[in-house]
Amino acid sequence: MSVLKEMFRNLLSKPFTILYPKEPVPIPDRFRGRVAIRDEKCIGCSKCSVVCSVQCISMVDSPKEIEFKDKILMRKKKPQLKLFRCIRCGLCERHCPTGAIYLKNELSDSGTDREVVVI
Amino acid sequence: MPEVIVPIGPHHPALKEPVNFRVIADGEKIVRLELDLSYNHRGIEKAAEQRDFIRVLPLLERVCGICSHSHSSAFAKGIEEIMQIEIPPRAQYIRTIIAELERMHSHLLWLGVAAHEIGFNTLFMWTWRDRELVQDTLEEMSGNRVHYGMNEVGGVRCDLTPHQVSTALERLPFLEERIYQYVDMVNDQQTLLLRFKGVGKLTREEVLKYGAVGPTARASGVDYDARRDDPYFVYTEVPWNVVTDTNGDVYGRTCVRIGELRESANIVRYCLENLPKGPVRVNAPKIAPEGEIFSRYEAPRGELAHFIRTNGTNKVERVDIRTPTLANWTSVAMCLVDQNLADIPVIVAAIDPCLSCTSRITLINTPGGKPGIVTFDELRKRGQTYCQEQGPP
Repeated sequence: MSVLKEMFRNLLSKPFTILYPKEPVPIPDRFRGRVAIRDEKCIGCSKCSVVCSVQCISMVDSPKEIEFKDKILMRKKKPQLKLFRCIRCGLCERHCPTGAIYLKNELSDSGTDREVVVI
Repeated sequence: MPEVIVPIGPHHPALKEPVNFRVIADGEKIVRLELDLSYNHRGIEKAAEQRDFIRVLPLLERVCGICSHSHSSAFAKGIEEIMQIEIPPRAQYIRTIIAELERMHSHLLWLGVAAHEIGFNTLFMWTWRDRELVQDTLEEMSGNRVHYGMNEVGGVRCDLTPHQVSTALERLPFLEERIYQYVDMVNDQQTLLLRFKGVGKLTREEVLKYGAVGPTARASGVDYDARRDDPYFVYTEVPWNVVTDTNGDVYGRTCVRIGELRESANIVRYCLENLPKGPVRVNAPKIAPEGEIFSRYEAPRGELAHFIRTNGTNKVERVDIRTPTLANWTSVAMCLVDQNLADIPVIVAAIDPCLSCTSRITLINTPGGKPGIVTFDELRKRGQTYCQEQGPP
């Protein structure tokens, strides 16, 4: 009997499927998507590179003056991402002292070559 | 009639993960089952020794896709005990909420898989649709559907917002209504009863003899649950009951899991309503003192055990993971005896096997046939000798 009840309920209800990509898929605010860097905030401390569990972040030379806690710092390096290596664990975002590296609320690309650097 | 060996796997269209069954059958009846696991060894334990306590948690989460929170919780719980740090009550509550939501999604997934194995795909579609609600809740709370990344040594990584709490509470009544419907279905539907009742029976004595854990053991009347018998998180504060059954067959395991679904929904509701205020983590030291810990955790499939040994550095010296599936395999081999060949999928599915988590056995065939310890150099020499004997490919 429970099957019949459910069947009639389903006949009267809308389809459950979302017609992606015609309809947008709801993505929660906290979703851990593609990693991105706010270049103007990065002080080059290398913490993200140290905590990255898959070592997809390497530090490259990028001298720049950065304002941090009302002081002007001279940063030497900035992170570079191998995006297809990233597992989006969010450790870099968690440990970044300035909020420079963060996980966007959008889906990440995928690829097979793990060594590709995505800028 | 002579006995026939039916080889199934490791690569077989009916298997989702690689495992090799050698079913020795006499006509339609199974005489014996020989198992060969470990086609999926990923070296996670060794990899865990190379990473510090921050970087090891995302790795351990990936031991299993379904019980990812279980593995990271078991490890974090153990390390926190070695470090002698007390995590804040709010973090304990959040860990419990995620753990119980994980149990709910795992059991709903299992119910669907079990229904699919007996060809009852209507139930499969329903449970997996309802599971999406749980998954959505988990995704909103943690940021990911599968690997939640909530745990860190010293607490949890993100707090729950009032909006997330209210959304989760709004979803619970519908889920509970659905769970009650599954209880009715399991008791009424002949399709289920005919394929589940009396199939894969295990007595209480057999369960204790072969060391089965989790819903498999509780379905045979073994009243054991690590959440109650070795309490952790906030299970001592939350009112809940251990669900047991006396049938001992696949039907009993289904009843236990559906009962646990109800209990989990209640635990989640209690925790969400009584979520204490305060911080969600404490600063944990980077280095753990020398020590050993055996951390037990009731994963959805049964008791999960992490043995952790630390040596005063920021890495573990050894972590040994005993997954519930490994403990349950022997009972599967035993309860398959004298059953019909057609019941293999449902009996195997009844323990909710997770093969890639289990692949952790090393068999060494020593010349004398006795077990012993082989050094790395000996192993290397053996490999070289073997390759020389084989000749060039």
